[in-house]
Amino acid sequence: MNWSAYIVAVLLALSFDSSVGSVLEIAGAHPQVLPAVVVFALLSTARRCALRAAMLAGLAADLLAPLVGADGMLVVVPGPRVLGFALGALAVLQLRSLLYRRNPLAGSAATFAFSLLAGIVFIAAWLLRAWVTGSDAPWWPGSGGSEVWIRFIGALLDGVVALPVLWCLEKTRPLWGFVVSTKLTAGPARMSR
Amino acid sequence: MELSRVLQFLATRLSGRRLDATLAVLALLLLLLPARVLTPWTNPAARLLSVPLAPLTHAGMYLRDRIRPPRESFDARAPEVIRLESELAQYRTLYEQSRLERERLERSMAALQAVSTRAGTEGVRLAEASVIASDPTRADATVRLNAGERHGVRAGAPVFVDGDIFAGIVANDVGAYSCAVIPASKLSGIGVRLYPAEGSDAQANVQGFPGAVLKPLPNGNWTAEVASTVELREGLIARLADERYPRVALGTRVGIVVRVEPIEQVPLARRIEVRRISSLADAASVIVAITPQSEANEERSSPR
Repeated sequence: MNWSAYIVAVLLALSFDSSVGSVLEIAGAHPQVLPAVVVFALLSTARRCALRAAMLAGLAADLLAPLVGADGMLVVVPGPRVLGFALGALAVLQLRSLLYRRNPLAGSAATFAFSLLAGIVFIAAWLLRAWVTGSDAPWWPGSGGSEVWIRFIGALLDGVVALPVLWCLEKTRPLWGFVVSTKLTAGPARMSR
Repeated sequence: MELSRVLQFLATRLSGRRLDATLAVLALLLLLLPARVLTPWTNPAARLLSVPLAPLTHAGMYLRDRIRPPRESFDARAPEVIRLESELAQYRTLYEQSRLERERLERSMAALQAVSTRAGTEGVRLAEASVIASDPTRADATVRLNAGERHGVRAGAPVFVDGDIFAGIVANDVGAYSCAVIPASKLSGIGVRLYPAEGSDAQANVQGFPGAVLKPLPNGNWTAEVASTVELREGLIARLADERYPRVALGTRVGIVVRVEPIEQVPLARRIEVRRISSLADAASVIVAITPQSEANEERSSPR
């Protein structure tokens, strides 16, 4: 995979999500383009660097989502989305052998699964942090249950938004430098004649 | 030297799944670090990342504002908004009140000016008074004003409405703070002269305008028999020309001729009916011409 293309796509997706993305807000949740970009890379890149690519995108998302601490200071906590994206990536990597990778509908379903798992891990990670450090979760004063619901809606919307995003990304496939390798196994070769 | 060996060890050992697991564990550790440990280096890292994103995000924001303008942060149910609306309603009321008061004062000033610019007002003090009581069932009923002896009102003082319409005179019942007014339609024998409605020629002799003595009719109008060679017609204006009334009242409008009939027994005379222009009972405020004490004493016994 061409990492430069991936990083540029992640930055573009982050910019879109933090600006134009709010236009698509529904019921308090707004869809994100970033999961679709990550899933696009996960579906086509080599397994050895897929997880790292997802965690890199999660780290960037974490860095751009600061929180206000109890003392009023801005705190950037790297980790919740890194772990969430990692688990989501693991799920997609397991699923991708079952999916037709260039089908937008398959990509949309993978994006939904990715976002849902990433959201659940995100909530779990913050609950763990709140338990260990005694800090407030980012959804405070809302409850964790309501956050799960919002994340679920968000995952659904991510899946919907992934349709056009994956279609667009598919057009840029040559730029990504994905290597298509075929595993060869030993055996008698068939004669075509 | 040691560092390079450590890095070399990590490079050889940490690859593939082992590197991924290490990164995940590192992320978990970072997640659990307290804020005071994270803040010194994560915040600058976040700022560093936001630098390349800034122009892209700015363009995105511009596009977003074009697609959907920023929502109003106005909450119509907020307590401060409700309080402001209440204050706004209150000040609107005060504003309208002041406008109405200004309009009323302008009318009063116009009425006072209309009376004060007339001849014979030397020493005459004009006072505005409000009608505080009247008989609503009768148009020609006596009315009571909120001006009395303490305001200088004397019996016999002429009362005007709309500036120059003779409405009546103050009755003998003058209290300290109120007085009764006899409407003009109840006064008997008002001497008037009949003038064209369009105005009279300044060079013309006053004697050329027919005079008449108005007598009240049951319907609130007046009637008079006029013997004059001047043509009588409907629309003539009857103006007060009775020396028994204060000079300030002379020339004021009393009524308008609405009917002219021949008198069979007196071929050269005509019977006219004069309708009042304005009813005292319909007025909310009037102008009372308070004449000097000496003049009032002179005129007290004369007209009624």
